[in-house]
Amino acid sequence: MKRWIAILAVIAIAAVLPLLLSPTGYWIRVLTFTLLFAAMAQVWNIIGGLANQTSLGHAAFFGIGAYTSTILVLKFGISPWIGMFAGGFLGGVAALIIAVPTMRLQGHYFALATLAFGEVMRVIANVWTSLTGGPVGLSVPFVPPSIAAYSFKQLLPHAYIALIALIIVTVIFEAIRRSAMGYRLRAIKENPAAAEVIGIDTTKVKLQTAVISGVLMAMLGTLYAQVAVFFDPDTVFSAASISIRVALIAILGGVGTAIGPILGALFIIPVEELMNDLFSSGAAGLSQLIFGVILIAVILWRPRGFITVFDSLMARFSSKARS
Amino acid sequence: MTILDVRGISRRFGGLQALSDVTFSVPKGQIVGLIGPNGAGKTTFFSTLVGLIRPDSGSIQLDGTSVVGQKPHKVAALGMTKTFQNVALFAESSVLDNVLTAGLLRHDVETARKEALICLDRVGLKSVAHKLAGNLSFPERARVELARALCTGPKVLLLDEVMAALNPVEMQEIMNLIRSLRDDGITLLVVEHHMRAIMTICDRILVLNFGRLLADGTPEQVANDPVVVEAYLGRSMEAHK
Repeated sequence: MKRWIAILAVIAIAAVLPLLLSPTGYWIRVLTFTLLFAAMAQVWNIIGGLANQTSLGHAAFFGIGAYTSTILVLKFGISPWIGMFAGGFLGGVAALIIAVPTMRLQGHYFALATLAFGEVMRVIANVWTSLTGGPVGLSVPFVPPSIAAYSFKQLLPHAYIALIALIIVTVIFEAIRRSAMGYRLRAIKENPAAAEVIGIDTTKVKLQTAVISGVLMAMLGTLYAQVAVFFDPDTVFSAASISIRVALIAILGGVGTAIGPILGALFIIPVEELMNDLFSSGAAGLSQLIFGVILIAVILWRPRGFITVFDSLMARFSSKARS
Repeated sequence: MTILDVRGISRRFGGLQALSDVTFSVPKGQIVGLIGPNGAGKTTFFSTLVGLIRPDSGSIQLDGTSVVGQKPHKVAALGMTKTFQNVALFAESSVLDNVLTAGLLRHDVETARKEALICLDRVGLKSVAHKLAGNLSFPERARVELARALCTGPKVLLLDEVMAALNPVEMQEIMNLIRSLRDDGITLLVVEHHMRAIMTICDRILVLNFGRLLADGTPEQVANDPVVVEAYLGRSMEAHK
C-alpha cells in the first residue's frame, strides 16, 4: 500500500514537472531525452539485467525503429504510430536473427558479437542510400500538428509520450521480473546447466527475452525520430551514444532493478548536458573529459549502482518513521 | 513395469572411455544404488541419463520414450532429473525461489510456491526458506538440491551424493525421505560413498568400474561378489591376510 502511494507520488511529480519548464526551452528537451533514455535503458535492462546478457548492440534495434517509421511516413504517408509497430516487428525479427547465433555466447563474447551487429547495421544504413538516404540522413517531414499524425508544435507532448513510454516499459520489466519467466531468467543467469536439468528451456527463454527487448527498443526508436526530426546512420546506430550509453545508464543506476535505469538516466543525461553547457566554451573536449571523470568517480563510489544509495535512504527513512 | 531401460550406453572423452556398454533396466519404484571407485563414471552416467552429455552409442528409454539426444529440459518434462554432486544452486536466490523455479515446470507461480514449500518441508528446510541459498552450509545446500529436483515432479530421480557430509541423524532423515519418495511411486537412482547407508536403503546395487558395469544385484550379492571386492577395495585384502 505504502509502496503504491510512493509510486503514484513519483508519477504525479513527473507528470507536473514538464508544465513547470518553458515549453519551447532547452530544459524541456533535456527532460524529454532523459525520460526517453530511461525507457531505453529499462528495455536494455530486460536482457542486460534479467538475462544478464550484456548487449552492446541495442542501437541496431533502435535505428531500425527510427528508420522504419520515418521511411513509411516519407514514402507512403503512414502515421508514425503505425510505423512504430512496423518498426517493432522488424526490431523483433532482427533480435531473433542476432540472438540465434549469439545466444550460447557469454560475457565478453556476447557483448562483442552484439557490438559488431550494431556496427553492421550502421554500415548498411550508410550504404543503402536508395532506402535510407545514406550518410546524409533523413528528415521527418513536417505535417500539420495532430495527435493522429504524431506531430506537435511544442516539445511538451513529446515529454509526456516519453513519460508514458517509460511507465509502460517499466511495468513490462517488473511484470517479467515477477513472472515465471523472471524466475527462469534468474535460474539461467545463475546456473544454466542446473536450469536445464530442472526443466527450463534455456534457449527458448533467452530468445523470448531478446525479442521482447528488440521489439521495445525499436518502438522507442520511433519516439526518438519524432522528437529529433532529423537523424543519420551515425546517430541512431551509434555504438557510443546509443548502445553503450543505454548499458551505462542501466549499470550506473543499478542493473536488474526497475528503478536503476531511471536513476541512471536522471543522473547521466542532465549531467552530460550541464557539462556541455558549462565547459563547451572552454577547450575542445573538456566537457567530455570532466563527464568521464565524474562517471569514474561515481562508479568507484557506488560500484553496484545508485540503487544502493536509494536503498540506504529508504532504509533510513523507514527506520526513522518507525521510531 | 520397467520405468528406465538403458541399453549399451558408451561415451568416450578423448582417450578416456568414460562409459562402456552400460546396460540395465529398472522397474518402477525401486531404489537402485550406483557405486564404484572415484572416477568410475557415476556422475558422467547421471549426466548422460538427463541429457547433459550425449552418449556416443546406446539407447535410453524413460517410461517407454527414448530420451537419447533430448535436451535436459525435455528429459525433465518427461520425468527424469538429477541433483548435482558439487551443488549447483541459484546462490543469489532464496532457498524457496530455488525450489519454486523447479515447480514452474508443471505449475504456475502461485501453485509452484505451495509445492516448493511442501518439498522444503519434506527435506526439513522449511525454516530456512527465505535465506539466500548461497548462505547455507554444504549439507543444507545438498538438501535444497534434493528439494529442487523433487519439485519438478519426477518419475525417476537421480541423487548424486546428497548425503555427503551429513551427520548420522541427518543421514537417517534423508534415508527415511528416500524411502518415502519410493513409497510415493518415484524410482530412485542413488550415488553414494557411504556404504552402510547405501546397503541399507537400496533394493539393488549396480557397480561401475572404469565405465563398465561390473555387477548388478541385491546388496548381499554385490557385497559378496569377489570381483566387486577386488575392484572396490583393491587386492589389499589378501595382503593383510
